[in-house]
Amino acid sequence: MPEFAVEIDRVVKRYVGHVAVRELSLRIPTGTVYGLLGPNGAGKTTTIRMLLDIIAPDEGTIRLLGVPNTTPGITDRTGYLPEERGLYRRMQVRRVLRFLAELHGVPRRVADRRIDEWLERLGLRDAERDWGGAKVDELSRGMQQKVQFIGALLHDPDLVILDEPFSGLDPINAQTLLDIVVQLKHAGKTVLFSTHIMDNAERLCDAVCIIARGEKVLDGAVPEVKARHGGRHVSVELASPRDGCVAEVLGDRTLVRRVTDVNRTMEIELAPEGSSRVLLQRLVLGGADIRRFELVQPSLHRIFLDEVGANGAEEGFGVSE
Amino acid sequence: MSPSKLRVVIAREYLERVRSRWFLFVTIFGPILFGALLFVPPWLTSRSQASADLARIVVLDATGVGLGARVAAELNGGLTGDTSLTQVRAVAPADLAAAETAATREALAKRTRGFLVLDASTLAGQSARYVGGNATAGPDMGRLERTVRDAVVAMRLERAGLDPVASASIASMRLRLDAQRLTDRGLGGSARVSIYLAFTVALLLYMSIMLYGQSVLRGVIEEKQTRVAEVVVASVSPSTLLAGKVLGIGAVGLTQMAIWIGTGIALARVRAPILEHFGVRGAPTQLPEVSLGTGALVLAFFLLGYLFYAALFAAVGSTVSNEHDAQQAQMPITLLLVGTIIFLSPILASPESALAYAFAWFPFSSPIVMPLRMSVVDLPALDIAASLAILLSACYVALWFAGRVYRVGLLMYGKRATVREMLHWVRVAR
Repeated sequence: MPEFAVEIDRVVKRYVGHVAVRELSLRIPTGTVYGLLGPNGAGKTTTIRMLLDIIAPDEGTIRLLGVPNTTPGITDRTGYLPEERGLYRRMQVRRVLRFLAELHGVPRRVADRRIDEWLERLGLRDAERDWGGAKVDELSRGMQQKVQFIGALLHDPDLVILDEPFSGLDPINAQTLLDIVVQLKHAGKTVLFSTHIMDNAERLCDAVCIIARGEKVLDGAVPEVKARHGGRHVSVELASPRDGCVAEVLGDRTLVRRVTDVNRTMEIELAPEGSSRVLLQRLVLGGADIRRFELVQPSLHRIFLDEVGANGAEEGFGVSE
Repeated sequence: MSPSKLRVVIAREYLERVRSRWFLFVTIFGPILFGALLFVPPWLTSRSQASADLARIVVLDATGVGLGARVAAELNGGLTGDTSLTQVRAVAPADLAAAETAATREALAKRTRGFLVLDASTLAGQSARYVGGNATAGPDMGRLERTVRDAVVAMRLERAGLDPVASASIASMRLRLDAQRLTDRGLGGSARVSIYLAFTVALLLYMSIMLYGQSVLRGVIEEKQTRVAEVVVASVSPSTLLAGKVLGIGAVGLTQMAIWIGTGIALARVRAPILEHFGVRGAPTQLPEVSLGTGALVLAFFLLGYLFYAALFAAVGSTVSNEHDAQQAQMPITLLLVGTIIFLSPILASPESALAYAFAWFPFSSPIVMPLRMSVVDLPALDIAASLAILLSACYVALWFAGRVYRVGLLMYGKRATVREMLHWVRVAR
């Protein structure tokens, strides 16, 4: 196995009137779960489509599993769940899955065995009912998503690419998906997924890349990214509701950049010239009844808001506070 | 393009269609329709000929020479027949109007089917008149006309001095013209059969190309609409997907046609015995003699014509996102096909005119028109070869064009692409 499952080098994709992806470079170590994060329209899907050679980049090179992504047969080693999901509606579930498996070079007998295993694993087949025999049309939306997910994994790919895998999933199905991603990782597979649900990214990812307006904002291992953004965030819990004095301290823009209220707990981001020591001092002097004062690492959510809000707000989903 | 993946795509396109209820319905319905064409007309004809009460009419005979009695006898089966059904009334020419009024009343009261007027102009061999509810029934009127004519001819022959038996036999003489085609290779079989064959083949080609071409269009739209296209093109190239779709659906078409032609030939073979079983004497069906070479050429024109139109339909399908837009977008292509059908009759009438040549070489119409011309006139091999060569080149261009449009269009959603956008796609596609 090569060191990197995915290597993107200075990739550019232009469309009439705008640049979808500009000078994007990133590397995904083999065997990791990697999150491609960004607001809508950031270029995530374009990037993924270029990875899979569905569309060609205008500039730059892409290597998958150590070889150029245009190498014949490379798609047999990648699994793909597109953002816009769909299957042949009038086809029987088992036949759709067999078709997808055979497209990836899996012999029919092996495919049939794996299909049954997967259907059982995802609760689509038991003693009472076998949904494999039903037409895709007869399945609920959630079931169809599971079938599509099975279709992406039937050929046991080394690299799994999931575009917004959590969109439209209920919590139970989302958990099933999370579990499978973890299992894939343990089996040595590389998983790349795009999302704008930071919670899932935080729980799953070993490393992330945040892009906005087609450009990389930051990337790296999650602990690293957090450390880079750490030391500037304080979590404060007050015993009593905050009074005018506390409000005055928090309103000082030379000390505090931003406050996010979460009930009685406040997430405070310090101003560039402010320090946590001064903040604590001022709060105590102001008579605040502090129950807890903690230096915290920012959540990916916070980092995402900070970074994208600074760079891509106008095209993102309106990050404003 | 990976052959094993192409095979998987072809297999899916073919099997999913052949397994569908639609295929079953059309495949069975085709022969039923064909069977109906073979059996129902002779049966209907035999029934209409059997309308024995054609003779239940009034004959107003103003000739004064007994033509009415003769007609009545003939209508009821000759000299030995029972003439009680037919009422012959001899009337003076001056009273004819009054007699007609009375006869009309009887016919309206359904006591008779109608009345036949024979007068001096009938005797002169010019005209007779019939009034009745069945005046539009072709077989009935044909029979009446023949009977009156035979009676007039026989009567005049007798007057000229011929004996009654000889005049009757001359008057009832029937002559059939059997037209046979002469080709460079000798007698080419019945001309009428070859015209029927030409029309059948042309219509069959038109229907198949339209049916399966639109099937390709719907297939492309389905993949776009359900968004399944993206999963598939992540593992096969768009050209493989397009080729697989066109070839798979083409195979469905060939399967269906093989079933149709097979059952058609079988039905035609057993037609006469079956008709006889029901007491209908039908002429034995003349199966047109088609040489293997002609068959192969027709097949070649079908395949190329299908490829050509399927490519165009696929290109159109990839530029739209729903069936509604597709209806409008496919209009130009459909019109080209329908336009060809409109010109079939004039081309058939003069298969060596400039019009026929133009249509037989123009790739949009040649797959339908060339087989049509081939079956009615003997064409030089060069003529056929040129038409095939033009069609083949047009196929190549259409597939190339469709491949490029398809590659870009497949993942485009939203409003339907304009022609200018399509041309742009052709330029940017790899």
